[in-house]
Amino acid sequence: MAERLLVADDLGKTYGTEVKTVALQDVSFTLERGEFASIIGQSGSGKSTLLNLIGLLDTPTTGRVILDGVDTSTADRKGRARLRNRTLGFVFQFHHLLPEFSVLENVLMPGRIGGAAGHGARDHAGEVLHLLGLEGVEDKNANQLSGGQKQRVAIARALLNDPALVLADEPTGNLDTANTAAVYELFRRINRELGTAFLIVTHDRSVAQQTDRILEIRDGRLVQDARNTYLGAEPAEVSRT
Amino acid sequence: MLSLRIALRFLRKSPVQSIFIAAGIAVGLGVQVFVGSLIISLQQTLVNETIGSSPQVWVTSPEQGKPVTYTTALRDALQGQSEIDTIAPALEYSAIFRQGTETAPLGFTGGTLKALDSVYDLTGKTVDGSASLGPDDVIVGKEFAETYGLKPGDQATFVLPDGTEARLTISAVVDLGSAAANKASAFVGEEQARGVLGYAADQYSSIDTQLSDVFASKTVAQTLAQQPALEGYKVTEWQSQNTDLLDALSAQSSSSYMIQFFVLVAVALGIASTLAISAVQKTRQIGILKAMGMQDGHAGRVFLWQAAILGLVGAAIGIGAGVGLIALFNAVGSDASFPIKPQLGFTAISFVVGVLVALASSIIPWRRTSKLDPIEVIQGG
Repeated sequence: MAERLLVADDLGKTYGTEVKTVALQDVSFTLERGEFASIIGQSGSGKSTLLNLIGLLDTPTTGRVILDGVDTSTADRKGRARLRNRTLGFVFQFHHLLPEFSVLENVLMPGRIGGAAGHGARDHAGEVLHLLGLEGVEDKNANQLSGGQKQRVAIARALLNDPALVLADEPTGNLDTANTAAVYELFRRINRELGTAFLIVTHDRSVAQQTDRILEIRDGRLVQDARNTYLGAEPAEVSRT
Repeated sequence: MLSLRIALRFLRKSPVQSIFIAAGIAVGLGVQVFVGSLIISLQQTLVNETIGSSPQVWVTSPEQGKPVTYTTALRDALQGQSEIDTIAPALEYSAIFRQGTETAPLGFTGGTLKALDSVYDLTGKTVDGSASLGPDDVIVGKEFAETYGLKPGDQATFVLPDGTEARLTISAVVDLGSAAANKASAFVGEEQARGVLGYAADQYSSIDTQLSDVFASKTVAQTLAQQPALEGYKVTEWQSQNTDLLDALSAQSSSSYMIQFFVLVAVALGIASTLAISAVQKTRQIGILKAMGMQDGHAGRVFLWQAAILGLVGAAIGIGAGVGLIALFNAVGSDASFPIKPQLGFTAISFVVGVLVALASSIIPWRRTSKLDPIEVIQGG
């Protein structure tokens, strides 16, 4: 039986105090180690909000996230930051590379934040860059790279600490078709070779179809949770409370 | 030391901004060191010229004209005070200079040249002639000599307290540092003074002392007044006789502190505003670093390090600039009545204060960065 990596337990998020806007409600699902899943939904459906809650970048109004066996609802800011550093890797729509640092330094950053330093960390960063086909650009500044290269550097950075789960929010939103295909191929390869779980947010159904499991969010609710043959088979309806 | 590494990189990536902040600190500290040293040197010169060559604490008889008997007990009591550098028993009286129909009152101080040198430095302050105090010699001040056209070798007539006249030879003309003193002071040998006063060998008009720290005179006088050996005598110190000078020094210090305070405030505001702008500019980077797991404290420290580096570099350059300005002032303004001495202690304090002001200026960006939630940046794209 697969090991449970993530439990989203009755998650809800409401913004505002006087005028309340419900962005997410009653979302529950689990994710096993090594899964390759996507969250799909229209713009404004709440899928990024869900990813931010799972990524411990935001706190839920209701419910809780259990990540790698840790109930994060009881963790303080320090504990959440530590979990983000050790367990999660982030890939955003905008590469969010630090322009003050070289490609290698950007990739090394999560390791340095976690206290890793020295040749071991550099060697590992070299391996990750090799895996992503980024040899030869280590000393370049992020601004000297193409859009596809920047996103691959961002992926390399997300992988440095060998996270159990990579969260990707519209990772190919700014890329052309060829680069988009390359990035998803890369995700899939890393998933297979390293056993890293992926949860990818996208509004593009064709992209989602390349994953093993699709979670569909509509109006802040999880309405479908389909596996593997999503297109061919009838998706499982998620019961609403 | 990731925070330090990031701080250094942020500074290097915005060189113009970094140079402006460091230059702001340097200019502020440079002005601080120059103005502070100028005022301190001015005060030291003023104090030195005004009371440096005068007794600072002296023992007299409470009754005017009565002598002080310089006993061993009295000498031991004075020598027991560590602040007292010099003890000079003095013979003093007043006489009137007469030249034709013109007269001028003069205060005479008598003693051996060695004893008088220890307080007044007559030999060092001689501007004409050669200081000597034989039985018929007299040393007079510069303004007095100029007023009456006297020069070394001339004879001068003085009407003594008992109405008799004495003709003395001017051996030297001295500049005591103040026109008033130069006009009203004269110095004679011990034998001459004792003859005028009619004092025995152990009797003096006053026992004068000079101190290592002139501003310790109040404490020294109070301590001496309680000594049994000084019972029946009066102890006077210079500060009680020079309230105008003290008021002037105090006013100078206050104005100096005000200038320095506002310079530091201007420096602090400059650094704080630029660092605050820098913190806003780097919000995205800090948010990303936090998303990757950087702790709030480490993120805040990035701006503390920036402030510390800028403070250290700016303060060091500022100290150099201040010392350079002082050297320039001393070289170019060599005609000035006093040289500025770089004040080591004051400069060290200025350096520390400069760095602390820079650190204090980083509090707002530090707090802002510490509190920043990564979601603010992630959602903003």
